[in-house]
Amino acid sequence: MFLSLTVSAQIDRTKQPKPGPAPKINLGTPEKFSLSNGLQVLVVENHKLPRVTATLTIDNPPMTYGNKKGVEGLLSSMLGSGSKNTPKATFDEEVDFLGANVSFWDEGARASSLSKYFPKVLGLMADAALNPVFTQEEFDKQMKQSLDGIKNGEKSVQAIASRVQNVLTYGKNHPFGEFTSEATLKNVTLQDVENLYNKTYKPNNAYLVIIGDVKFKEVKTLVKDLFSSWKKSDMIAQQLPKVENPSTTEIDFINMPNAVQSELAIINSVDLKMGDKDYYAALLANQILGGGGTGRLYKNLREDKGYTYGSYSSIGSSRYASRFKTSASVRNMVTDSAMVEAMKEINKIRYKKATQEELDIAKAKYIGNFVRNVEKPQTVASYALNILTNKLPKDYYKNYLKNINSVTLDDVQNAAIKYFKGDKARIIITGKGIDVLKNLEKTANYKINYFDKNGNPTEKPAMSKTIPAGVTKNTVINKYFDAIGGADKVKNLKSTMVVYEAEAMGRKIQNTEKRTATHFANATAMNGNTMMKVTMDKDAIKMNGQPLPPAMAKDFSFTLGTFPEVGYLNNAETKLTGIEPINGKDAYVVSKKGKIVSITSYYDVDSGLKVKEVQNINMGGRTQTQEATFGDYKEFNGVKFPGKKSGSLGPQKVQYVLKDAKINEGVSDADFK
Amino acid sequence: MKRSILSLASALLVAFSANAQKVEFEEYDLSNGMHVILHKDNSAPVVTVGVMYHVGAKDEVDGKTGMAHFYEHLLFTGTENIGRGEWNKIEAANGGTGNANTNWDRTYYYETFPSNNLELALWMESERLLHPIIDQKAVDTQNEVVKEEKRQRMDNAPYGKIIYGDVYNHIFDKHNYGRPMIGYIKDLDAAKLEEFKAFYNKWYMPNNAVLVVAGDFDTKNAKKMIKDYFEPIPARTLPKREKVVEPERTKEKRVKEYDSNIQLPAILLAHKTPSMKERDSKVLDVISTILSNGKSSRLYKKLVDGKKKSLNVFSFARNLEDYSVYNIGAIPLGKTSLDDLIKEMDEEIEKLQTELVSDKDLQKVRNKFENRFVASNSNVQGIANSLARNYMLVGDTNRINKELEIINSITKEEIRDVARKYLAKDRRVVIEYLPEAKKK
Repeated sequence: MFLSLTVSAQIDRTKQPKPGPAPKINLGTPEKFSLSNGLQVLVVENHKLPRVTATLTIDNPPMTYGNKKGVEGLLSSMLGSGSKNTPKATFDEEVDFLGANVSFWDEGARASSLSKYFPKVLGLMADAALNPVFTQEEFDKQMKQSLDGIKNGEKSVQAIASRVQNVLTYGKNHPFGEFTSEATLKNVTLQDVENLYNKTYKPNNAYLVIIGDVKFKEVKTLVKDLFSSWKKSDMIAQQLPKVENPSTTEIDFINMPNAVQSELAIINSVDLKMGDKDYYAALLANQILGGGGTGRLYKNLREDKGYTYGSYSSIGSSRYASRFKTSASVRNMVTDSAMVEAMKEINKIRYKKATQEELDIAKAKYIGNFVRNVEKPQTVASYALNILTNKLPKDYYKNYLKNINSVTLDDVQNAAIKYFKGDKARIIITGKGIDVLKNLEKTANYKINYFDKNGNPTEKPAMSKTIPAGVTKNTVINKYFDAIGGADKVKNLKSTMVVYEAEAMGRKIQNTEKRTATHFANATAMNGNTMMKVTMDKDAIKMNGQPLPPAMAKDFSFTLGTFPEVGYLNNAETKLTGIEPINGKDAYVVSKKGKIVSITSYYDVDSGLKVKEVQNINMGGRTQTQEATFGDYKEFNGVKFPGKKSGSLGPQKVQYVLKDAKINEGVSDADFK
Repeated sequence: MKRSILSLASALLVAFSANAQKVEFEEYDLSNGMHVILHKDNSAPVVTVGVMYHVGAKDEVDGKTGMAHFYEHLLFTGTENIGRGEWNKIEAANGGTGNANTNWDRTYYYETFPSNNLELALWMESERLLHPIIDQKAVDTQNEVVKEEKRQRMDNAPYGKIIYGDVYNHIFDKHNYGRPMIGYIKDLDAAKLEEFKAFYNKWYMPNNAVLVVAGDFDTKNAKKMIKDYFEPIPARTLPKREKVVEPERTKEKRVKEYDSNIQLPAILLAHKTPSMKERDSKVLDVISTILSNGKSSRLYKKLVDGKKKSLNVFSFARNLEDYSVYNIGAIPLGKTSLDDLIKEMDEEIEKLQTELVSDKDLQKVRNKFENRFVASNSNVQGIANSLARNYMLVGDTNRINKELEIINSITKEEIRDVARKYLAKDRRVVIEYLPEAKKK
C-alpha cells in the first residue's frame, strides 16, 4: 500500500511527456493607411514595452549598377549624415542623446527608441531621409572607407566564397550577381550618388511599418506630417537577365591559399514563389534535407562523420530570382568526402521518398516556429508586408498551418525533384587548392572549372609550394638519412633486409625485401608459398625468373642501393620538384620521370622521414599507379624502418606491419638468383 | 459598459507594467540545492527552460583544457531515456528550438517551446543532468566537430582571435581566462573517456546549477513539475574553486598577433578590469558608451568622422566573474599608422582621466542604457538568460532590475577615477593585430 503510493506519486521518466492542449493562436493584423504619394503605412500597436520601431522599406524592383556598382552602398552610408535642416554633428548628437538607433540605406531607413522620444526620433529619421545632404567631404570619407573595406574582405574565405557563389549562380550582369570592386567603386562620383537618390528613393513602392507602444491615431497624424511632402515619380523596372543552371553538374573551384576550411556549396537557381502551389512542399523538402539539427545534412556530415560544425540547406522564394543551396565549412582533408556525402543526400531525397516520421518532424518544426513567432509584433508586421509585396491572398497566413499540414510524401519528393537539381548543379568549393584538389580530382566524376576571387575563369592553381632557398635534393635525402639513423651510417651499410606481414582476403601475406649496393630482391609469399619474386641488378630485372623489357629495367635500376635513396643521390634525373601536403602535412617531393616507370617519393618537411612513394607505370598506352605510405618508424640496430606500410595488392589495399629488419646480415648472393 | 471597465482596467495594468519596467520573478531552492527562478509572462504562448551550470573554461585543469565547451556538445548526444541522436528530433517534433553556449565561467543550455510543452522541456533538461550518454563514440564524433567549430569561428574568420578572446593570453599570465575558451586541440585529442566522465562528475550536479523557466505557465503546475523532475536528482559535493589572483601589471606590454584572414591590421588596448560583480565594471560600461557607442561618441566622432584616420573604432568590456577584459581598439584607414591611432586613443583616455564629463554626456549615457535595458527585455529567452547569469555570476538575481538604478547613480567623478585607475597606461597590453603577410 505504502509502496504503491510512493510509486504512483513519482513520475515515469522513461516516457516522453505528452504535450498539453495546443495553445490558442491569435494572428493579429496591423492597422493600415496610405498617403496620396503612395506610401503605405502599417501600424502594430503593442504596449508591452515602452518602445517603438519604425522601418521604411522602399520595395523597388532590383536593378544593376554595372561599372558603377557600389554607388548604392555609398548612398547607404551617406544617408543620415544630417539633413538640409540639421548639420551632421547636431543630428548625430540628437539621435545619441535620445538613446535612439537610427540607420539608413539606399532603399530604406529604420529608427527605434523609447516611446517617450519616438515622435522626435521619427522626425529625425524622416528629415534625414527626405532632405539629405550630399557633400564632397562626406563622399570622400565614405569612398576611402569603402575602398579599405573591400581590401579587408579579400582574404576572408567566407566573403570571397559568397561573392563568387553569387556571380556563378546569377551571372555578373544580374542584380544578385554583380559585386562591388575597387574598380567599379572608383567610377562613382558624388553626382552619381545624388542621382541615384533622386531616382529611387521614392514613396511609390514604399512601406512604413511602425511597431510598438504607439496609438494609431497619434501615429497617423505624425506620419502624415512628416511624410506627406515626399514626392513620387515614375520608375521603370529593369529587364533582368535570365538565370541559368549548368547543363550538367560541375565543380567550380576558387583557390584561397589561406583557407583552413573549404566553403562547400551546392547551388542551383530555382523559380519558386510564395504563392506557388508547391511552395510548402518545397519548404518541407528543404527542412528534411538540411533544416537545422534534424536535417539529413547535419546528421550525416556533422553527427555521423564529424566533417563540419554544421551543414544546412536553404531555398529562396524571391519574386525575382532565387536559389537552392546546401552549405558546409569543412576541413581541407575531407572536402572531397563531404562533397560526395552532400550530393548523396541531394540525390537521395530526389529518388527516394522521405519517411513519414521525417515529414512529421519537419511539419512540427514549421508549426512550432509559427506558434513561437506569431504573437511577436514584428511577425505580425512582416506577414502583412509579405502579403502586400508578394501580392498574396489576404488569408495567406490564416491558411498557413493548414497548407503545411496537407503536404504529402509525394509532394515532398516532387518538390525535391523539381527544385533540388542534383544533375544540373554547381558545386562551388572555395578552399586551399594544394590541400584539396588532388583528392577532389580523384573522387569526383564532375568537370572541375577554376575561377578567381572575382568569379572570372582562370587556370588550375599551382599544386606545389615554392621550395625554400638552400633546399635541394641532396639536403632532403640527407635529412631523411639523418632521420633514420645518420647519413654516414646509412650510406655505408652493406645490406638491408625488411620483412612485412599483412592479412588480406583471409590469408597471411609476407613481403621480404633484401638490398645490397648492387642487388635487389623482393619476394611476396602467401600462406608461406612464394607467389612472386622480383630480382634486379644493373643489367636486368626478372620477375619470377622471366626478364622484364630492358626499357623498364633501365627505369628501375637507379634505385639500386641499400636504400633506394642512395641511388637517387647519384642519379641526375632524380629531382626535387616541389612541396605538397600529404595528409595535411607538407612533404618534399622527389621524383624521376622515366620512359615507362616514373617514381615519386615524399619526405615530411618537419621530420625528414619518407611518408609516401608512388610508382607510375605506363606501358602500351595503359597506366598503372601503385601507392605506398609509410609511418610509425621503428629502430633496428640504430636504423629506423617504417613500422607500418600501406600498399596495394592488385585492387586490394593492404596494411603491412613490420615483422623484422636486419642490417648487414641475413642477405646472401643466393637471395638474388 | 462592462466592457469599457474591463478595457480600462487592462489599460491601467499595461501602463503600470510599462512604466515600472520591472522584470518580475520568483526564486527558491529545491531540497537538492538546485536553484530555481520563475519569470511568468503569459502574453504569448511560449516558454523557455534554461539550465546554467557553474562551470566554464576557467575551471579546467592544465593539460585537460576544452572540457567545458566539449560538454556543451556531448550533452546533446542523448540520455538513458532519450536515444542517441533523438534530442534534436524530439525538440523539433514538438515545435521547439534550443541550443547551448559556453564561456569561461559557465555553460548554459536552453530551449524554447510552445507553452503546452513545458513538461517536455523540463523532462529533457532533467534527463540531461541525471544520466546523459557519455561514451567513446560520442567523444570521437564531437572531437572532430569541435575542431571544425574552431576552424570556422577562429582560424578562418577575420579578427577571430579578438572576437573569441584568444588574445586574452597576453592579458592573463596566471588566471585561466588567458587560455582559449575552446581549449587546446592537443588536450582534447589526448583526453580519455574516463577523464571526460570525471569532469562531468565533478561539475554537473543540481547544487551547481540554476534552472530558469520563463514565459507562459501556470505557477503551481510548473512548480510541481519542476519538483517531480529535478528534486530526485541527488546532490553531490561541490568542487573546490580555487581563486587565482592575477597580479596587476606595472609596465605596459606590447605584443603582436597575426591573422591570415585580414588585410587591414587592428590596434587593441587591452586591460584587465574588475569582476562583473563590481560597480566599477558598470562604470567601465558607461565609459565604453562615451568612447565608441554611436556616431557622436568621442572616438568615432574624432577618428572616423573627423580626422578620418580610422575605418572603425570600438571599445567594449567582456564582463566575467573573476575579472573582466576591457578593450579599446581601432582599424586604421588608409596609411594611418598604428602608433598614430594609439596616440589619438590615448588623448581621449587622458581626457576622461583629467576632465569631468558634461551633464549632457551623462544624460546621454543614461538614455542609451534605458533604451538598451528595455530592448534587452523584449523576449523571454533573453530574460531567462539574464536572470540565470545575475543569480550565478553576479550573485544577485534582482540585479536585472537594479541595473538602471546603478547606471543612473554613477557620477562624473567616478567615471574620471575609474578611467584613471583601470585605463592607466602601465596596466595595459598593447596588441598589434596584423595580417599574416606581415609576419617576418
